[in-house]
Amino acid sequence: MKYAFFPGCSLESTANDFMVSTLAVARALGIELEEIPGWTCCGSTAAHATDALLAASMAARNLALAQDMGCDVIVCCAACYGRLAAGNLAIAESAKMREDVAAAIGRDYDGSVKVRHFLQILKDDIGLSEITTAVEGETPGHTSKGLDGLKVACYYGCLLTRPKELSILDDPENPQLMEEILAATGAEPVEWPYKTECCGASFSITRTDTVKTLVGEILDMAKQSGADCIAVACPLCQTNLDLRQQDVEESRGQKVDLPVFYFTQLLGRALGIPENDLGISKLITDPKRVLARYR
Amino acid sequence: MSKTKIECINSDLIRELDPEGRLNIGLCLQCGRCSSGCTMRRETDVLPHQLNRMATLGMKNEMLHSRHIWLCASCQTCVSRCPMRVDTPAMIDRLRTMATEAPEELSRIRTFHESLLSSVSRFGRVYEFGLMGIYKIKTRDFFSDHRKFLTMLRKGKMRLLPPRSSGRGAISSIMSKIRRAGR
Repeated sequence: MKYAFFPGCSLESTANDFMVSTLAVARALGIELEEIPGWTCCGSTAAHATDALLAASMAARNLALAQDMGCDVIVCCAACYGRLAAGNLAIAESAKMREDVAAAIGRDYDGSVKVRHFLQILKDDIGLSEITTAVEGETPGHTSKGLDGLKVACYYGCLLTRPKELSILDDPENPQLMEEILAATGAEPVEWPYKTECCGASFSITRTDTVKTLVGEILDMAKQSGADCIAVACPLCQTNLDLRQQDVEESRGQKVDLPVFYFTQLLGRALGIPENDLGISKLITDPKRVLARYR
Repeated sequence: MSKTKIECINSDLIRELDPEGRLNIGLCLQCGRCSSGCTMRRETDVLPHQLNRMATLGMKNEMLHSRHIWLCASCQTCVSRCPMRVDTPAMIDRLRTMATEAPEELSRIRTFHESLLSSVSRFGRVYEFGLMGIYKIKTRDFFSDHRKFLTMLRKGKMRLLPPRSSGRGAISSIMSKIRRAGR
């Protein structure tokens, strides 16, 4: 299966562990990712807050390039997913927008390229039972397999969840998609109420105190719900929950110690991919204690 | 704040905020679902349902000077839960473009947005290291988060050199075409 891969800016820098783990998991499951040549920022960089036409044009430029490749677009970053899908919708809904965008990007784009998140590909194109089979194949003869019994709080945040029209989830208030995929590896997702709360990542630099409160509440709730770790699908959420966790710990004078993985890192671990190929050492909150059981 | 006649809905302001008539601003029921889930509810001066009401009452000046239009986290919780699909975040986006300046203590939010866009315009993709440099010079805030920088550098999560993309000039070209078209 081949897809037009849109990595996005974060996966090239702050989330390069999301990038390597995505590529490794895709390779292990036979998913072919071909990077969109010459892709540019999706438009999430505040473009939507200042100019709707600019935001739609920035998305459309990338989608038009993908259209030439003739396959669905696959995105990992939740912010990129949201902006590309929103661009598609804006163009498909309004002939005027389509016309204005065409003038801005120098070619007509009709809004029809399918934009899909990696979580959707895993469930719909690969399939949960196929994932379980691949995980079991990695541990023949062992009594425990994959991530048996790992208590994980799946965290979605905003951008995969809202607005409803763009959501990748069956139920935007209580999604189960990431839970289903990680459960297929033997992990035990916990039920918890804060999985779609906002972590405030857009204010991580400009209003750090606000963000510390929001991050602290999310981490506390995950812990109270019995989680050993958090799994995320968004580079902004990961950086915020992991990096600002240190600030929360400092101001409380107390450890929180809750590793924040990309779901691809956990899935890769269950598939027997070496930690070096998953960028595990790049996590700030040390995950050794949590992963030690699965060596 | 001047006395406002609550019985008359001001359709002029609604039209100005929503020229294409897609945001359902006038449909707000004042049920408060939006405000109970607002990420910034503890810090803001005006809650989403209040902002919606201000729009229908024509309180343009008060809206443009509210802290909320800068404090909104764009989390979309309000519009997702709204029974009438009032798109408050889109209305706030519009208010941000109409506002000539942000209140002093919140101006760094606007500065950050601008720094991000200029980074993308220059390189086609976000160049975090350069972006943070510009932001820090503009806000004259050189020392906050310096340890976080070091952590990110040590973890190899912050590139020192700008991204290289064959699409490098594309975004600035899109921006200038849009500007020329007079939008």
